[in-house]
Amino acid sequence: MGFHIVKRDACPLWKKACFYLLAVLAALVVGGLLLLAMGVNPLAYYSRMFTMGMVGNKIAYKAFENYLKVFVPLALTSVALSLAFKMRFWNIGGEGQFILGSIAAAAVALKLGPALPGAVTLILMCLAAMLAAGLYGVFVAALKVRFGTNETLMTLMLNYVALYLLMFFGDRKADWNFFLQEQSARPVFQSFAEFASFPRIMFGKFGLNICVILTFAVGALVYVYLKYTKHGYEISVVGDSAGTAHYAGMKVNAIVLRTVFLSACLIGLAAAFKVGTAGVLSTAITDDVGWTGIIVAWLSQLNTAVIFVVSALISMLHYGSVAAAATFSRVDSSFANMLQGVILFLVLTADFFIRFRIVRTQKGGKK
Amino acid sequence: MKKFLALIMALAMTLSLAACGDAGTASSGSASGEQTDELTVGAIYINSKNDTAGYTFAHHSGIVGGMKDLGLDPEKQLVIVDEVPEDKQQVLAAVDTLVGQGADIIFGISFGYIDAMSEAAETYPDVIFSHGTGYLSNDTNFNNYFGRAYQARYLAGIAAGLKSLETGNNNVGYVAAYTTAYAETASGINGFALGVQAANPDAKVYVKNLGAWADEVNEKAYAEELINTFNCGVISQHCDSAQPQIAAQNAGVFGCGYNSDMTADAPAAHLTAAIWNWNVYYATAMQAAIDCAGDASKFVEKMGGSAYYGGLKEGFVDASPLTENCAANTDKAIETVKKMIVDGEWDVFSGVKLSIAADGTVTSADAALVDNAGNEIVAAGGPSVEDGVITGTMNYLVAGVEEV
Repeated sequence: MGFHIVKRDACPLWKKACFYLLAVLAALVVGGLLLLAMGVNPLAYYSRMFTMGMVGNKIAYKAFENYLKVFVPLALTSVALSLAFKMRFWNIGGEGQFILGSIAAAAVALKLGPALPGAVTLILMCLAAMLAAGLYGVFVAALKVRFGTNETLMTLMLNYVALYLLMFFGDRKADWNFFLQEQSARPVFQSFAEFASFPRIMFGKFGLNICVILTFAVGALVYVYLKYTKHGYEISVVGDSAGTAHYAGMKVNAIVLRTVFLSACLIGLAAAFKVGTAGVLSTAITDDVGWTGIIVAWLSQLNTAVIFVVSALISMLHYGSVAAAATFSRVDSSFANMLQGVILFLVLTADFFIRFRIVRTQKGGKK
Repeated sequence: MKKFLALIMALAMTLSLAACGDAGTASSGSASGEQTDELTVGAIYINSKNDTAGYTFAHHSGIVGGMKDLGLDPEKQLVIVDEVPEDKQQVLAAVDTLVGQGADIIFGISFGYIDAMSEAAETYPDVIFSHGTGYLSNDTNFNNYFGRAYQARYLAGIAAGLKSLETGNNNVGYVAAYTTAYAETASGINGFALGVQAANPDAKVYVKNLGAWADEVNEKAYAEELINTFNCGVISQHCDSAQPQIAAQNAGVFGCGYNSDMTADAPAAHLTAAIWNWNVYYATAMQAAIDCAGDASKFVEKMGGSAYYGGLKEGFVDASPLTENCAANTDKAIETVKKMIVDGEWDVFSGVKLSIAADGTVTSADAALVDNAGNEIVAAGGPSVEDGVITGTMNYLVAGVEEV
């Protein structure tokens, strides 16, 4: 008497969707029970969360702008990570690449910005961020290709190197440190001049940051790149089996280097968008997108279009929870992280049951 | 397929059960922001509002306490965005959220919110912004606030100095978050050291620099080093936890805590702590906001200035109740000096030096304030340089203090 796991036949899309939806609902029920335990009405909380506190809000347009500020870096980072993940290159270094990109973009904004036209500054910020992040990423790919190092560990550790570098710039007042305000006795990051901010298209009071459009454009390009180009095909072959790719005459090492560079570059671009929107550095500049992006990429099963949907939902959860928690004296902002964890866990569980089923092993054969 | 349907049914039932469960508990708090006729208070915290100790906890208790003092209901009239890092964009988003919920006054408690608070005050002229530990402000709806903790430090220093006389050990230790990097920490060390020297002119204050506002492991290790290597008999501190006091108790020496009364943490060692009563400021600011009657631009005027800097006089800082561990006559000496400060007769960083005799009597004499490099800061008889603390320019340690 025992159990074993059997692979299921293909599951129709509608059924898959239902499973995922159920998983999310179940997570909300778990969260609801916790809210009840805290003496909070879950329906009141969730309705505030899903509307992101915009109902009855006299500056709801601001809430939507802020929501998009959370969404853009997350979506772009997730798309970037999915490129590497498709190739089974475990880039856990999104945080570090994002930080290096931020530092590079900020350096351009602060050093070159005053001498250049605004548009040129912004383009240079993007290029500098992409180059810095790209090199930081490809460094690990090169080590893997040359010495067979473990990219998971390397990218993970380099996150902390980057973070401490940023913190060093953030609290070391010195003549050379142009990242900090000169006039403040205590270390404070220097804000950029107005022209080093991405322009917004105004719809009445609501300003649509141009980064939102650019992010969707980059997403579309990546979709086409993966689906319809030779490069995209090579990535999936290398991901399935490096050996097969090798026998097929593909230059596996070059493909790995190229793809990781591109992945990290796009994370750098996300960083430039973030910094160019915030107008200032901070030690919390990543807002954890390098970590959350991994979750988004997996929940989306590396599908570029789905990544945008999942990013939108996770951002809603993230931003909505803060907006909701503001009015409930017992719920703090950490609730969003907890809920996100439960959702991820249950969706992955659902994913498991979509692919496999558990059957009871019986005497004399299998059921 | 049947199983699948059953699963859906089960979940639907669970959901509806959860929904039924809510009906009884009623909505608590979702109706805030509706009361336009009453003050809505907004707050931005660096850590969780559910913390049970530390910086955010001290401010949250102060805001809730201040609201209760004024008869406001924190459940309905307080909106909070917590766990907001020192990131301009995130602070501005938090401000938008609070303004969207109808906040009339917004407190930001962490120094790094400074640029965001300043910008928000311009964006929302109808909302009052009040920034803790900052130095920016305007003439209308934006002020900053902090307290003269150095006055309370001086009182704690008296207790430490008299204790060092009693034990015959002139070495006093101080675990500091930072030393001269911040006026807040430098003034804390200096205020304490001057208090020690008033009671025991031969005393020497040894300071260990943590380089962090909170670091429990080193808070303990540095206190132990001060006791074991530098033979300190009293340990004071400027850090988040009570570890230095616990280390003092374990070594059989004495100590002065900070932020809150740490007697419970180290009952055999603790003398008195320099403490904050944040509710004093918060009640004052909220009352001023109410007095503005909807015109946020009058806030700075109602507060009597754009920087609030309360001290012993306002009850914003104080020395916690003295314990049995204190030397004889400590209470008398502290009462006398406290009265002098409250009455405005004397302040800590001036050219007048107090001397406290073993019987607790206080005498004053003109004497220059000198830093530990020998530079004269205030000439004998000169006025107090409290401005150096307020504007953040105090970047020296007084004579008799040694950083080790």
